[in-house]
Amino acid sequence: MAGARAGAPFKDFYQWVSPTRVIAGRGLIESAGFEFAKEGARRVLVVTDEVIRETGLVDRVQDGLRDGDLEVAGVFDAVPPDSDSAVVQACAAAAAEHGADAILAVGGGSVMDTAKAANVVFTHGGQVRDWEGYFGLPRADDGLGRPDELAPLACVPTTSGTGSEVSFAAVIKDREQHIKYQLADWPMFPRLAILDPAATATLPPRLAAATGMDAMTHAIEGYVSTERTPHGDAQALQALRLLRDNLLRAVQSPGDEDARGNMLVAACLAIGPTCTGAIGIAHSLSHPCGGRFDVPHGVANAINLPVVIEFNAAGGTEIADRYRDLCELLALETGGSDEQVGATLAEHVRGTVRELGLPGRLSEVGVTEAALPQLAEDAMGDGCTLVNPREPTEDDFEQLYRRAL
Amino acid sequence: MLAGEPVPARRTRKGVHVPYFSSEQEVYDHIGRLFTELMADDELRPQFQRANTIVQYRYRNPESQITVSMLEGAQGQVDLGPTGLDPEVVMTMDADTAHRFWLGKVNVTVALARGQMKAKGPVAKILKLVPLVKPVFPRYRAQLEQAGRGDLAEVS
Repeated sequence: MAGARAGAPFKDFYQWVSPTRVIAGRGLIESAGFEFAKEGARRVLVVTDEVIRETGLVDRVQDGLRDGDLEVAGVFDAVPPDSDSAVVQACAAAAAEHGADAILAVGGGSVMDTAKAANVVFTHGGQVRDWEGYFGLPRADDGLGRPDELAPLACVPTTSGTGSEVSFAAVIKDREQHIKYQLADWPMFPRLAILDPAATATLPPRLAAATGMDAMTHAIEGYVSTERTPHGDAQALQALRLLRDNLLRAVQSPGDEDARGNMLVAACLAIGPTCTGAIGIAHSLSHPCGGRFDVPHGVANAINLPVVIEFNAAGGTEIADRYRDLCELLALETGGSDEQVGATLAEHVRGTVRELGLPGRLSEVGVTEAALPQLAEDAMGDGCTLVNPREPTEDDFEQLYRRAL
Repeated sequence: MLAGEPVPARRTRKGVHVPYFSSEQEVYDHIGRLFTELMADDELRPQFQRANTIVQYRYRNPESQITVSMLEGAQGQVDLGPTGLDPEVVMTMDADTAHRFWLGKVNVTVALARGQMKAKGPVAKILKLVPLVKPVFPRYRAQLEQAGRGDLAEVS
Protein backbone atom coordinates (compact mmCIF):
# COMPACT_ATOMS: atom_id res chain seq x y z
CA MET A 1 0.00 0.00 0.00
CA ALA A 2 1.06 3.56 -0.54
CA GLY A 3 1.87 5.57 2.51
CA ALA A 4 -1.38 7.38 3.08
CA ARG A 5 -2.37 5.40 6.11
CA ALA A 6 1.02 4.35 7.38
CA GLY A 7 1.51 7.50 9.41
CA ALA A 8 -2.11 8.23 10.14
CA PRO A 9 -2.59 9.77 13.56
CA PHE A 10 -4.97 8.33 16.14
CA LYS A 11 -8.08 10.44 15.90
CA ASP A 12 -9.19 12.51 18.85
CA PHE A 13 -12.68 11.16 18.43
CA TYR A 14 -14.77 8.92 16.25
CA GLN A 15 -17.64 6.56 16.74
CA TRP A 16 -18.75 3.56 14.76
CA VAL A 17 -22.36 2.50 14.77
CA SER A 18 -23.67 -0.44 12.78
CA PRO A 19 -26.64 -1.96 14.60
CA THR A 20 -28.47 -3.44 11.63
CA ARG A 21 -28.44 -7.23 11.53
CA VAL A 22 -27.43 -8.12 7.98
CA ILE A 23 -28.21 -11.53 6.54
CA ALA A 24 -26.90 -12.34 3.09
CA GLY A 25 -27.39 -15.41 0.99
CA ARG A 26 -29.65 -17.31 -1.33
CA GLY A 27 -33.27 -18.16 -0.61
CA LEU A 28 -33.59 -15.67 2.22
CA ILE A 29 -36.74 -14.03 0.90
CA GLU A 30 -38.58 -17.22 1.72
CA SER A 31 -37.50 -16.94 5.34
CA ALA A 32 -38.29 -13.23 5.72
CA GLY A 33 -40.87 -13.94 8.43
CA PHE A 34 -38.63 -16.29 10.38
CA GLU A 35 -35.90 -13.64 10.44
CA PHE A 36 -38.11 -10.58 11.01
CA ALA A 37 -39.90 -12.24 13.93
CA LYS A 38 -36.56 -12.17 15.77
CA GLU A 39 -36.70 -8.39 15.58
CA GLY A 40 -40.08 -8.15 17.26
CA ALA A 41 -42.32 -7.97 14.18
CA ARG A 42 -45.77 -9.52 14.35
CA ARG A 43 -48.04 -7.68 11.95
CA VAL A 44 -46.19 -6.22 9.00
CA LEU A 45 -46.93 -3.45 6.52
CA VAL A 46 -45.02 -4.15 3.30
CA VAL A 47 -43.83 -0.97 1.58
CA THR A 48 -42.86 -1.15 -2.07
CA ASP A 49 -43.58 0.37 -5.49
CA GLU A 50 -45.84 -0.74 -8.30
CA VAL A 51 -43.01 -1.80 -10.60
CA ILE A 52 -41.49 -4.14 -8.05
CA ARG A 53 -44.89 -5.47 -7.11
CA GLU A 54 -45.52 -6.42 -10.74
CA THR A 55 -42.38 -8.55 -10.78
CA GLY A 56 -43.91 -10.95 -8.27
CA LEU A 57 -41.18 -10.33 -5.72
CA VAL A 58 -43.59 -8.79 -3.22
CA ASP A 59 -45.81 -11.88 -3.38
CA ARG A 60 -42.78 -14.00 -2.51
CA VAL A 61 -41.92 -11.73 0.39
CA GLN A 62 -45.48 -11.91 1.69
CA ASP A 63 -45.38 -15.70 1.45
CA GLY A 64 -42.10 -15.62 3.32
CA LEU A 65 -43.59 -13.48 6.06
CA ARG A 66 -46.60 -15.75 6.48
CA ASP A 67 -44.37 -18.81 6.43
CA GLY A 68 -42.69 -17.36 9.51
CA ASP A 69 -46.07 -16.96 11.21
CA LEU A 70 -46.17 -13.20 10.75
CA GLU A 71 -49.30 -11.43 9.59
CA VAL A 72 -49.23 -9.21 6.52
CA ALA A 73 -51.22 -6.18 7.64
CA GLY A 74 -51.22 -4.68 4.16
CA VAL A 75 -49.15 -3.59 1.19
CA PHE A 76 -48.39 0.06 0.46
CA ASP A 77 -47.15 0.18 -3.14
CA ALA A 78 -47.54 3.88 -3.96
CA VAL A 79 -43.89 4.91 -3.60
CA PRO A 80 -42.62 6.89 -6.63
CA PRO A 81 -38.98 6.97 -7.79
CA ASP A 82 -38.29 10.14 -5.79
CA SER A 83 -40.46 9.86 -2.74
CA ASP A 84 -41.90 12.97 -1.16
CA SER A 85 -43.46 14.18 2.07
CA ALA A 86 -47.02 13.35 1.00
CA VAL A 87 -46.07 9.76 0.20
CA VAL A 88 -44.38 9.38 3.56
CA GLN A 89 -47.48 10.65 5.34
CA ALA A 90 -49.69 8.29 3.34
CA CYS A 91 -47.39 5.38 4.13
CA ALA A 92 -47.44 6.16 7.86
CA ALA A 93 -51.22 6.47 7.74
CA ALA A 94 -51.44 3.10 5.99
CA ALA A 95 -49.40 1.49 8.76
CA ALA A 96 -51.77 2.90 11.36
CA GLU A 97 -54.94 2.08 9.43
CA HIS A 98 -53.87 -1.52 8.88
CA GLY A 99 -52.90 -1.96 12.52
CA ALA A 100 -49.29 -2.81 11.67
CA ASP A 101 -46.63 -3.11 14.34
CA ALA A 102 -43.69 -3.40 11.95
CA ILE A 103 -42.65 -2.29 8.47
CA LEU A 104 -40.80 -4.20 5.79
CA ALA A 105 -39.49 -2.30 2.76
CA VAL A 106 -38.99 -4.09 -0.54
CA GLY A 107 -37.36 -1.77 -3.03
CA GLY A 108 -34.59 0.67 -3.80
CA GLY A 109 -33.53 3.83 -2.03
CA SER A 110 -36.80 5.67 -2.46
CA VAL A 111 -38.86 2.80 -1.04
CA MET A 112 -36.50 2.20 1.88
CA ASP A 113 -36.21 5.90 2.74
CA THR A 114 -39.99 6.24 2.57
CA ALA A 115 -40.35 3.32 4.97
CA LYS A 116 -37.75 4.77 7.35
CA ALA A 117 -39.32 8.23 7.40
CA ALA A 118 -42.83 6.78 7.62
CA ASN A 119 -41.72 4.71 10.59
CA VAL A 120 -40.77 7.93 12.39
CA VAL A 121 -44.19 9.47 11.72
CA PHE A 122 -45.96 6.18 12.48
CA THR A 123 -44.20 5.94 15.84
CA HIS A 124 -43.98 9.56 16.93
CA GLY A 125 -46.77 11.25 14.94
CA GLY A 126 -46.77 14.70 13.34
CA GLN A 127 -45.63 15.64 9.86
CA VAL A 128 -42.46 14.23 8.41
CA ARG A 129 -40.83 17.65 8.11
CA ASP A 130 -41.36 18.08 11.85
CA TRP A 131 -38.59 15.52 12.16
CA GLU A 132 -36.20 17.01 9.63
CA GLY A 133 -32.70 17.35 10.95
CA TYR A 134 -30.08 15.30 12.67
CA PHE A 135 -30.46 13.39 15.94
CA GLY A 136 -33.75 15.08 16.74
CA LEU A 137 -35.92 12.08 17.64
CA PRO A 138 -37.34 11.90 21.17
CA ARG A 139 -34.94 10.75 23.87
CA ALA A 140 -35.07 9.93 27.52
CA ASP A 141 -33.60 12.23 30.14
CA ASP A 142 -34.76 15.49 28.61
CA GLY A 143 -33.29 14.68 25.23
CA LEU A 144 -29.88 13.58 26.47
CA GLY A 145 -30.50 9.88 27.07
CA ARG A 146 -31.24 6.85 24.97
CA PRO A 147 -33.45 7.59 21.95
CA ASP A 148 -36.92 6.05 21.97
CA GLU A 149 -37.21 3.01 19.74
CA LEU A 150 -39.13 2.99 16.49
CA ALA A 151 -41.26 0.12 15.24
CA PRO A 152 -39.23 -2.80 13.85
CA LEU A 153 -38.13 -2.13 10.28
CA ALA A 154 -36.62 -4.58 7.82
CA CYS A 155 -35.35 -3.91 4.30
CA VAL A 156 -35.03 -6.10 1.25
CA PRO A 157 -33.01 -3.95 -1.18
CA THR A 158 -33.82 -4.45 -4.85
CA THR A 159 -30.94 -2.28 -6.04
CA SER A 160 -27.27 -2.35 -5.10
CA GLY A 161 -26.26 1.20 -4.42
CA THR A 162 -28.00 3.32 -1.84
CA GLY A 163 -27.07 1.30 1.23
CA SER A 164 -30.18 2.67 2.90
CA GLU A 165 -30.86 -0.80 4.27
CA VAL A 166 -28.04 -0.27 6.77
CA SER A 167 -28.00 3.51 7.19
CA PHE A 168 -29.65 5.81 9.71
CA ALA A 169 -30.85 8.52 7.33
CA ALA A 170 -33.73 9.07 4.96
CA VAL A 171 -33.74 11.53 2.08
CA ILE A 172 -37.15 12.84 1.08
CA LYS A 173 -38.14 15.31 -1.61
CA ASP A 174 -40.10 18.49 -1.04
CA ARG A 175 -41.77 19.01 -4.40
CA GLU A 176 -42.83 22.58 -3.67
CA GLN A 177 -39.39 23.79 -2.66
CA HIS A 178 -37.52 21.56 -5.15
CA ILE A 179 -35.19 20.30 -2.50
CA LYS A 180 -34.36 17.04 -0.82
CA TYR A 181 -34.20 17.07 2.93
CA GLN A 182 -32.87 14.59 5.45
CA LEU A 183 -33.89 13.15 8.74
CA ALA A 184 -31.36 11.04 10.54
CA ASP A 185 -31.02 9.49 13.96
CA TRP A 186 -29.78 6.23 15.43
CA PRO A 187 -33.21 4.55 15.80
CA MET A 188 -33.69 4.90 12.04
CA PHE A 189 -31.19 2.15 11.38
CA PRO A 190 -33.28 -0.77 10.10
CA ARG A 191 -33.18 -3.70 12.46
CA LEU A 192 -32.75 -6.21 9.65
CA ALA A 193 -31.35 -6.12 6.11
CA ILE A 194 -31.96 -9.14 3.87
CA LEU A 195 -29.47 -9.35 1.00
CA ASP A 196 -30.77 -11.94 -1.45
CA PRO A 197 -29.72 -11.76 -5.11
CA ALA A 198 -33.18 -12.95 -6.06
CA ALA A 199 -34.35 -9.44 -5.13
CA THR A 200 -32.23 -7.88 -7.88
CA ALA A 201 -32.98 -10.49 -10.56
CA THR A 202 -35.23 -8.15 -12.52
CA LEU A 203 -33.16 -5.01 -12.01
CA PRO A 204 -32.76 -3.27 -15.40
CA PRO A 205 -29.09 -2.98 -16.42
CA ARG A 206 -29.19 0.80 -16.60
CA LEU A 207 -30.53 1.01 -13.07
CA ALA A 208 -27.99 -1.54 -11.91
CA ALA A 209 -25.29 0.65 -13.43
CA ALA A 210 -26.52 3.90 -11.89
CA THR A 211 -27.03 2.46 -8.43
CA GLY A 212 -23.69 0.69 -8.62
CA MET A 213 -22.01 4.02 -9.27
CA ASP A 214 -23.76 5.38 -6.21
CA ALA A 215 -22.09 2.65 -4.18
CA MET A 216 -18.74 3.41 -5.80
CA THR A 217 -19.15 7.07 -4.89
CA HIS A 218 -19.90 6.15 -1.27
CA ALA A 219 -16.76 4.03 -1.09
CA ILE A 220 -14.43 6.57 -2.70
CA GLU A 221 -15.83 9.59 -0.89
CA GLY A 222 -15.92 7.70 2.38
CA TYR A 223 -12.26 6.82 2.07
CA VAL A 224 -11.05 10.41 1.65
CA SER A 225 -13.53 12.33 3.82
CA THR A 226 -12.32 14.30 6.82
CA GLU A 227 -14.57 12.08 8.92
CA ARG A 228 -13.05 8.86 7.66
CA THR A 229 -12.31 6.24 10.27
CA PRO A 230 -10.33 3.00 10.39
CA HIS A 231 -13.61 1.10 10.61
CA GLY A 232 -14.92 2.96 7.62
CA ASP A 233 -11.68 2.50 5.68
CA ALA A 234 -11.99 -1.26 6.03
CA GLN A 235 -15.51 -1.21 4.66
CA ALA A 236 -14.75 1.26 1.87
CA LEU A 237 -11.78 -0.73 0.62
CA GLN A 238 -13.60 -4.06 0.66
CA ALA A 239 -16.58 -2.44 -1.03
CA LEU A 240 -14.32 -1.11 -3.75
CA ARG A 241 -12.78 -4.56 -4.28
CA LEU A 242 -16.24 -6.04 -4.70
CA LEU A 243 -17.27 -3.22 -7.03
CA ARG A 244 -14.08 -3.68 -9.04
CA ASP A 245 -14.85 -7.36 -9.55
CA ASN A 246 -18.62 -7.35 -9.86
CA LEU A 247 -20.13 -4.09 -11.09
CA LEU A 248 -19.58 -4.59 -14.81
CA ARG A 249 -20.41 -8.30 -14.53
CA ALA A 250 -23.71 -7.58 -12.80
CA VAL A 251 -24.68 -4.97 -15.38
CA GLN A 252 -23.54 -6.81 -18.48
CA SER A 253 -24.68 -10.26 -17.34
CA PRO A 254 -27.82 -9.71 -15.28
CA GLY A 255 -28.22 -13.47 -14.86
CA ASP A 256 -24.96 -13.68 -12.93
CA GLU A 257 -26.31 -14.31 -9.45
CA ASP A 258 -22.87 -14.28 -7.83
CA ALA A 259 -22.15 -10.83 -9.22
CA ARG A 260 -25.53 -9.53 -8.13
CA GLY A 261 -25.12 -10.96 -4.65
CA ASN A 262 -21.66 -9.47 -4.31
CA MET A 263 -23.00 -6.13 -5.47
CA LEU A 264 -25.60 -6.19 -2.70
CA VAL A 265 -22.81 -6.74 -0.19
CA ALA A 266 -20.66 -4.03 -1.81
CA ALA A 267 -23.43 -1.46 -1.53
CA CYS A 268 -24.06 -2.47 2.06
CA LEU A 269 -20.37 -2.03 2.93
CA ALA A 270 -19.87 1.16 0.94
CA ILE A 271 -22.44 3.12 2.91
CA GLY A 272 -20.70 2.26 6.19
CA PRO A 273 -18.31 5.22 6.32
CA THR A 274 -21.13 7.67 5.65
CA CYS A 275 -22.80 6.65 8.91
CA THR A 276 -19.99 8.48 10.66
CA GLY A 277 -20.43 11.44 8.33
CA ALA A 278 -17.66 10.36 5.98
CA ILE A 279 -18.84 11.54 2.59
CA GLY A 280 -18.01 14.43 0.31
CA ILE A 281 -18.92 16.96 -2.29
CA ALA A 282 -19.76 14.63 -5.15
CA HIS A 283 -22.90 14.15 -3.09
CA SER A 284 -23.18 17.89 -2.46
CA LEU A 285 -23.12 18.41 -6.23
CA SER A 286 -25.55 15.57 -6.91
CA HIS A 287 -28.28 16.33 -4.39
CA PRO A 288 -29.30 19.63 -6.07
CA CYS A 289 -29.24 17.91 -9.49
CA GLY A 290 -31.85 15.53 -8.15
CA GLY A 291 -33.80 18.21 -6.34
CA ARG A 292 -34.06 20.63 -9.23
CA PHE A 293 -33.66 18.47 -12.35
CA ASP A 294 -34.77 15.01 -11.24
CA VAL A 295 -31.41 13.52 -12.19
CA PRO A 296 -31.24 10.02 -10.69
CA HIS A 297 -28.87 10.10 -7.75
CA GLY A 298 -26.55 7.40 -9.04
CA VAL A 299 -26.30 9.02 -12.46
CA ALA A 300 -25.50 12.40 -10.91
CA ASN A 301 -22.82 10.83 -8.73
CA ALA A 302 -21.32 9.00 -11.71
CA ILE A 303 -20.96 12.29 -13.54
CA ASN A 304 -19.79 14.40 -10.61
CA LEU A 305 -17.37 12.01 -8.93
CA PRO A 306 -14.49 12.38 -11.43
CA VAL A 307 -14.35 16.18 -11.27
CA VAL A 308 -14.44 16.00 -7.48
CA ILE A 309 -11.56 13.53 -7.39
CA GLU A 310 -9.49 15.90 -9.55
CA PHE A 311 -10.44 18.87 -7.37
CA ASN A 312 -9.63 17.09 -4.11
CA ALA A 313 -6.36 15.54 -5.31
CA ALA A 314 -5.06 18.99 -6.12
CA GLY A 315 -5.77 19.98 -2.52
CA GLY A 316 -2.71 18.36 -1.01
CA THR A 317 -0.54 15.28 -0.80
CA GLU A 318 -2.41 13.81 2.15
CA ILE A 319 -5.59 13.69 0.09
CA ALA A 320 -3.83 12.54 -3.05
CA ASP A 321 -2.19 9.70 -1.14
CA ARG A 322 -5.59 8.42 -0.12
CA TYR A 323 -6.49 8.31 -3.79
CA ARG A 324 -3.15 6.57 -4.42
CA ASP A 325 -4.35 3.77 -2.14
CA LEU A 326 -7.46 3.39 -4.23
CA CYS A 327 -5.47 3.42 -7.46
CA GLU A 328 -3.35 0.58 -6.12
CA LEU A 329 -6.43 -1.42 -5.22
CA LEU A 330 -7.75 -0.85 -8.74
CA ALA A 331 -4.39 -1.82 -10.31
CA LEU A 332 -3.91 1.68 -11.72
CA GLU A 333 -0.74 3.75 -11.96
CA THR A 334 0.04 5.07 -8.47
CA GLY A 335 3.02 7.31 -9.25
CA GLY A 336 3.18 10.92 -10.36
CA SER A 337 2.16 14.19 -8.83
CA ASP A 338 -0.90 14.76 -6.69
CA GLU A 339 -2.76 16.07 -9.70
CA GLN A 340 -1.67 13.09 -11.81
CA VAL A 341 -2.95 10.53 -9.35
CA GLY A 342 -6.25 12.39 -9.21
CA ALA A 343 -6.44 12.44 -12.99
CA THR A 344 -5.65 8.71 -13.15
CA LEU A 345 -8.42 7.76 -10.76
CA ALA A 346 -10.89 10.23 -12.28
CA GLU A 347 -10.23 8.86 -15.76
CA HIS A 348 -10.73 5.33 -14.50
CA VAL A 349 -14.12 6.33 -13.08
CA ARG A 350 -15.04 8.04 -16.35
CA GLY A 351 -14.07 4.89 -18.23
CA THR A 352 -16.23 2.78 -15.94
CA VAL A 353 -19.14 5.13 -16.50
CA ARG A 354 -18.67 4.80 -20.27
CA GLU A 355 -18.50 1.01 -20.08
CA LEU A 356 -21.68 1.01 -18.03
CA GLY A 357 -23.41 3.06 -20.70
CA LEU A 358 -24.29 5.92 -18.38
CA PRO A 359 -24.30 9.60 -19.34
CA GLY A 360 -21.01 11.37 -18.78
CA ARG A 361 -22.16 14.98 -18.63
CA LEU A 362 -24.79 16.90 -16.70
CA SER A 363 -26.00 18.56 -19.90
CA GLU A 364 -27.01 15.09 -21.14
CA VAL A 365 -29.40 14.70 -18.23
CA GLY A 366 -31.13 18.06 -18.45
CA VAL A 367 -29.03 20.32 -16.24
CA THR A 368 -28.77 23.80 -17.76
CA GLU A 369 -25.93 26.29 -17.59
CA ALA A 370 -28.30 29.00 -16.36
CA ALA A 371 -29.03 26.95 -13.26
CA LEU A 372 -25.43 26.54 -12.17
CA PRO A 373 -25.28 29.49 -9.73
CA GLN A 374 -28.38 28.22 -7.94
CA LEU A 375 -27.04 24.67 -7.91
CA ALA A 376 -23.74 25.94 -6.52
CA GLU A 377 -25.56 27.77 -3.72
CA ASP A 378 -27.52 24.62 -2.93
CA ALA A 379 -24.35 22.52 -2.91
CA MET A 380 -22.65 24.94 -0.54
CA GLY A 381 -25.43 24.33 1.98
CA ASP A 382 -25.34 20.57 1.71
CA GLY A 383 -24.24 18.79 4.85
CA CYS A 384 -21.73 16.69 2.88
CA THR A 385 -19.74 19.83 2.09
CA LEU A 386 -18.53 20.16 5.67
CA VAL A 387 -16.65 16.86 5.59
CA ASN A 388 -14.99 17.06 2.19
CA PRO A 389 -11.19 16.82 2.48
CA ARG A 390 -10.71 20.03 0.49
CA GLU A 391 -12.84 22.97 1.50
CA PRO A 392 -14.70 24.36 -1.51
CA THR A 393 -16.08 27.85 -2.04
CA GLU A 394 -19.29 28.55 -3.86
CA ASP A 395 -17.20 29.61 -6.87
CA ASP A 396 -15.45 26.23 -6.73
CA PHE A 397 -18.82 24.52 -6.86
CA GLU A 398 -19.85 26.52 -9.89
CA GLN A 399 -16.58 25.63 -11.62
CA LEU A 400 -17.04 21.95 -10.78
CA TYR A 401 -20.54 22.03 -12.22
CA ARG A 402 -19.19 23.69 -15.37
CA ARG A 403 -16.57 20.99 -15.75
CA ALA A 404 -19.22 18.31 -15.34
CA LEU A 405 -21.74 20.05 -17.61
CA MET B 1 -12.07 20.67 10.90
CA LEU B 2 -11.23 20.27 14.51
CA ALA B 3 -11.50 17.26 16.70
CA GLY B 4 -14.25 16.36 19.10
CA GLU B 5 -14.29 17.91 22.48
CA PRO B 6 -14.27 15.54 25.45
CA VAL B 7 -13.88 18.28 28.05
CA PRO B 8 -16.75 20.71 27.66
CA ALA B 9 -16.32 22.87 30.72
CA ARG B 10 -13.88 24.23 33.24
CA ARG B 11 -13.34 22.47 36.51
CA THR B 12 -13.19 23.78 40.02
CA ARG B 13 -10.68 22.54 42.52
CA LYS B 14 -13.23 19.94 43.61
CA GLY B 15 -13.45 18.59 40.08
CA VAL B 16 -17.02 19.78 39.50
CA HIS B 17 -17.87 20.96 36.00
CA VAL B 18 -18.68 24.63 35.93
CA PRO B 19 -20.18 26.23 32.85
CA TYR B 20 -18.22 29.05 31.26
CA PHE B 21 -21.14 31.42 31.68
CA SER B 22 -22.61 31.85 35.12
CA SER B 23 -25.89 33.42 34.08
CA GLU B 24 -28.27 33.89 31.18
CA GLN B 25 -27.16 37.51 31.01
CA GLU B 26 -23.54 36.48 30.51
CA VAL B 27 -24.58 34.41 27.50
CA TYR B 28 -26.26 37.46 26.04
CA ASP B 29 -23.34 39.72 26.96
CA HIS B 30 -20.94 37.62 24.92
CA ILE B 31 -22.60 35.29 22.39
CA GLY B 32 -25.62 37.57 22.10
CA ARG B 33 -23.42 40.57 21.52
CA LEU B 34 -21.50 38.71 18.83
CA PHE B 35 -24.69 37.87 16.95
CA THR B 36 -25.92 41.43 17.31
CA GLU B 37 -22.71 42.85 15.92
CA LEU B 38 -22.54 40.34 13.08
CA MET B 39 -26.03 41.20 11.96
CA ALA B 40 -25.19 44.91 12.17
CA ASP B 41 -22.12 44.42 9.98
CA ASP B 42 -22.91 45.66 6.48
CA GLU B 43 -20.43 43.23 4.92
CA LEU B 44 -21.31 40.09 6.85
CA ARG B 45 -25.07 40.53 7.21
CA PRO B 46 -25.84 39.96 3.48
CA GLN B 47 -23.80 36.77 3.56
CA PHE B 48 -25.72 35.43 6.53
CA GLN B 49 -29.00 36.48 4.98
CA ARG B 50 -28.37 34.14 2.08
CA ALA B 51 -29.54 31.47 4.51
CA ASN B 52 -32.94 33.21 4.30
CA THR B 53 -34.19 31.75 7.52
CA ILE B 54 -34.85 32.41 11.19
CA VAL B 55 -32.67 30.39 13.54
CA GLN B 56 -33.23 29.93 17.24
CA TYR B 57 -30.34 28.84 19.43
CA ARG B 58 -31.58 27.23 22.62
CA TYR B 59 -28.86 26.93 25.22
CA ARG B 60 -28.64 24.93 28.41
CA ASN B 61 -26.42 25.64 31.40
CA PRO B 62 -27.41 28.39 31.74
CA GLU B 63 -30.84 28.33 30.14
CA SER B 64 -30.93 31.02 27.50
CA GLN B 65 -32.19 31.61 24.00
CA ILE B 66 -31.03 33.70 21.05
CA THR B 67 -33.16 34.06 17.94
CA VAL B 68 -31.63 35.44 14.78
CA SER B 69 -33.60 36.56 11.73
CA MET B 70 -31.48 36.16 8.62
CA LEU B 71 -34.25 36.70 6.09
CA GLU B 72 -33.18 37.98 2.70
CA GLY B 73 -34.14 41.54 1.97
CA ALA B 74 -35.08 42.29 5.58
CA GLN B 75 -33.28 44.04 8.38
CA GLY B 76 -31.39 41.57 10.51
CA GLN B 77 -32.89 40.99 13.93
CA VAL B 78 -31.41 39.39 17.01
CA ASP B 79 -33.65 38.70 20.01
CA LEU B 80 -32.00 37.79 23.29
CA GLY B 81 -34.47 35.83 25.39
CA PRO B 82 -38.19 35.88 24.57
CA THR B 83 -39.02 36.56 20.95
CA GLY B 84 -41.94 37.13 18.64
CA LEU B 85 -40.01 35.58 15.75
CA ASP B 86 -41.11 32.17 14.48
CA PRO B 87 -37.93 30.12 14.02
CA GLU B 88 -37.58 27.75 11.09
CA VAL B 89 -34.42 26.09 12.40
CA VAL B 90 -33.82 25.28 16.05
CA MET B 91 -30.34 24.45 17.32
CA THR B 92 -30.11 23.12 20.86
CA MET B 93 -26.85 22.81 22.78
CA ASP B 94 -25.05 23.68 26.00
CA ALA B 95 -23.98 27.30 26.14
CA ASP B 96 -20.47 25.91 26.60
CA THR B 97 -20.68 24.20 23.21
CA ALA B 98 -21.79 27.45 21.59
CA HIS B 99 -18.99 29.34 23.29
CA ARG B 100 -16.40 26.80 22.15
CA PHE B 101 -17.87 26.83 18.62
CA TRP B 102 -17.29 30.58 18.34
CA LEU B 103 -13.72 30.05 19.48
CA GLY B 104 -13.23 27.58 16.62
CA LYS B 105 -13.01 24.56 18.91
CA VAL B 106 -16.04 22.57 17.80
CA ASN B 107 -16.37 20.27 14.83
CA VAL B 108 -20.02 20.69 13.93
CA THR B 109 -20.26 17.26 12.32
CA VAL B 110 -18.89 15.55 15.39
CA ALA B 111 -20.98 17.68 17.74
CA LEU B 112 -24.13 16.69 15.84
CA ALA B 113 -23.15 13.03 15.84
CA ARG B 114 -22.42 13.06 19.56
CA GLY B 115 -25.65 14.83 20.35
CA GLN B 116 -23.84 17.86 21.71
CA MET B 117 -25.74 19.88 19.13
CA LYS B 118 -29.30 19.06 18.13
CA ALA B 119 -30.56 20.44 14.87
CA LYS B 120 -34.20 20.60 13.93
CA GLY B 121 -35.61 21.93 10.68
CA PRO B 122 -33.96 22.61 7.32
CA VAL B 123 -30.47 22.39 8.70
CA ALA B 124 -28.83 22.81 5.29
CA LYS B 125 -29.77 26.46 5.40
CA ILE B 126 -27.40 27.09 8.26
CA LEU B 127 -24.78 24.46 7.46
CA LYS B 128 -23.88 26.59 4.47
CA LEU B 129 -22.96 29.33 6.94
CA VAL B 130 -20.37 27.23 8.76
CA PRO B 131 -17.52 28.04 6.35
CA LEU B 132 -18.51 31.70 6.46
CA VAL B 133 -18.19 32.02 10.20
CA LYS B 134 -14.59 30.86 10.44
CA PRO B 135 -13.25 34.41 10.08
CA VAL B 136 -15.49 35.37 12.99
CA PHE B 137 -13.64 33.16 15.46
CA PRO B 138 -10.81 35.66 16.11
CA ARG B 139 -13.38 38.41 16.35
CA TYR B 140 -15.14 36.59 19.19
CA ARG B 141 -11.87 36.02 20.98
CA ALA B 142 -11.00 39.70 20.63
CA GLN B 143 -14.44 40.67 21.87
CA LEU B 144 -13.97 38.60 25.01
CA GLU B 145 -10.60 40.17 25.66
CA GLN B 146 -11.95 43.68 25.14
CA ALA B 147 -14.67 42.90 27.65
CA GLY B 148 -12.03 41.92 30.17
CA ARG B 149 -12.98 38.25 29.91
CA GLY B 150 -9.93 36.85 28.22
CA ASP B 151 -10.16 34.01 30.73
CA LEU B 152 -13.17 32.69 28.81
CA ALA B 153 -11.05 32.33 25.69
CA GLU B 154 -8.84 29.78 27.40
CA VAL B 155 -10.58 26.60 26.35
CA SER B 156 -9.23 23.22 25.35
